[in-house]
Amino acid sequence: MLEVLAITFTVFLVILSAAYARRFGIGKEILLAGTRALVQILMLASIILILFRKPLFWSFLVLMMMAAIAGHTTYSRSGKLEMGLPVAFVSITIASLLLLIPFFLVGIFPPEARYIVPTGSILIGNAMNVSSLAIDRYKGEIKNRRAEVETYLALGARPEIAVKACLKQGILSALIPSIDNMKNLGIVWIPGVMTGMLLGGADPMEAASIQIAIFTSIFATGMIASGLLLHFSTDSFFTKAAQLKEDMGQEL
Amino acid sequence: MNQVHLELKNVSKAVFRRVNNTRVRTQILSSLDLKVNKGELVTIMGASGSGKSTLLRLVNRLSEADSGIILLNGNDIRSHVPMELRRRIGMVFQVPVTFKGSVRDNLVFGIKLWGGNTGIETLSRDTGIPEDLLDADAGQLSTGEKQRVSIARALGNQPEILLLDEPTSSLDAVSAQRIEMLLLGLQKERDLTILWVTHENEQAERIGGRRLILRDGRLDHA
Repeated sequence: MLEVLAITFTVFLVILSAAYARRFGIGKEILLAGTRALVQILMLASIILILFRKPLFWSFLVLMMMAAIAGHTTYSRSGKLEMGLPVAFVSITIASLLLLIPFFLVGIFPPEARYIVPTGSILIGNAMNVSSLAIDRYKGEIKNRRAEVETYLALGARPEIAVKACLKQGILSALIPSIDNMKNLGIVWIPGVMTGMLLGGADPMEAASIQIAIFTSIFATGMIASGLLLHFSTDSFFTKAAQLKEDMGQEL
Repeated sequence: MNQVHLELKNVSKAVFRRVNNTRVRTQILSSLDLKVNKGELVTIMGASGSGKSTLLRLVNRLSEADSGIILLNGNDIRSHVPMELRRRIGMVFQVPVTFKGSVRDNLVFGIKLWGGNTGIETLSRDTGIPEDLLDADAGQLSTGEKQRVSIARALGNQPEILLLDEPTSSLDAVSAQRIEMLLLGLQKERDLTILWVTHENEQAERIGGRRLILRDGRLDHA
């Protein structure tokens, strides 16, 4: 009964938002995005229901699929860089698994699909967001600072040294929202996991402890994924002779 | 007999320019030939967009020639590791870029990178950078001072060839003439081979050396 009420309320809100958004010319987009979100989340719920009865291997397979889609999204954001797809996929996967596995190793969660899939998806989703922002900014920084990058190259510096400041700026810019969120955690907003646990009747201290563990993992995942992605994408901006490619800003 | 230091044979290069959102291919250099002897000063003049900067960029492989061959001491530059080639062929750009940090940090960059034995004091003295400026923030310097830092930083690599891409065009007349004097003094002192790009006739006359003009993708005597 509860789910029927919640879904009806969602449909009502999507329609209402889309109708209101028409005056900004984005009514159709809101309707489409809302419908997609509803269908996708119901599909996910069905998949998790099936996964409850399957071995853990299937849960990890679902996470791999999520990471593949996340990798593709980041790859598209990067302007489809050479080797960008495997690099984005591997960066997101490694960072997410690195922070997901300890939750089960130290016993915060039991190794069950109901914990693995949602926690993994939170880490993957955030790794994707941070990586997309980071690669977009990194590319922009290299384009805007072409003169500086080429000054380094002209002195005989390797490309990694020439773009070091751009890489740092790319990661920093992508992490600013996460840093701000972390600073305001519990003051301005109560994050999703804690809200969900509280609504489910959990003890507030337990909910807060798990939330902060997940929150710091989200931050670390984003930082590691974007760091790996940017580091291994650097070669895509240069030719084999360590020349900045001509499409990276106007040649001087 | 003079030793040929740098030679360009039949070098061509086209670039793509964006015109009304369309990429248009423009032939910049066409079968260009040039021979430069060791320790020689060559000034290259030409109208804006004639390819002067592109020509310099091909010599230290910041860009790649479409065809032809460039020889350094008789060896194809493509046979050198690009980073090592750029250490040997220094370049000073039109608009000086200083790196984050102090003047000293900037000057020490090449020395740290390549393990050279040039002292900071020698570099700053030779390029007219006052000692009390060494610990100043490089980003806060005037354009003329920044250009001196760029020249000193390039010299820190102990290059055998120096490519100068209109190094005084962003300076006022007094600063420009000081930099000219500085570069000419360094060329004699260090027996440097210099390719100096300028768009000013008067400057080319002041500098002296062999004067060439880049026109229709080729070099002619001015």
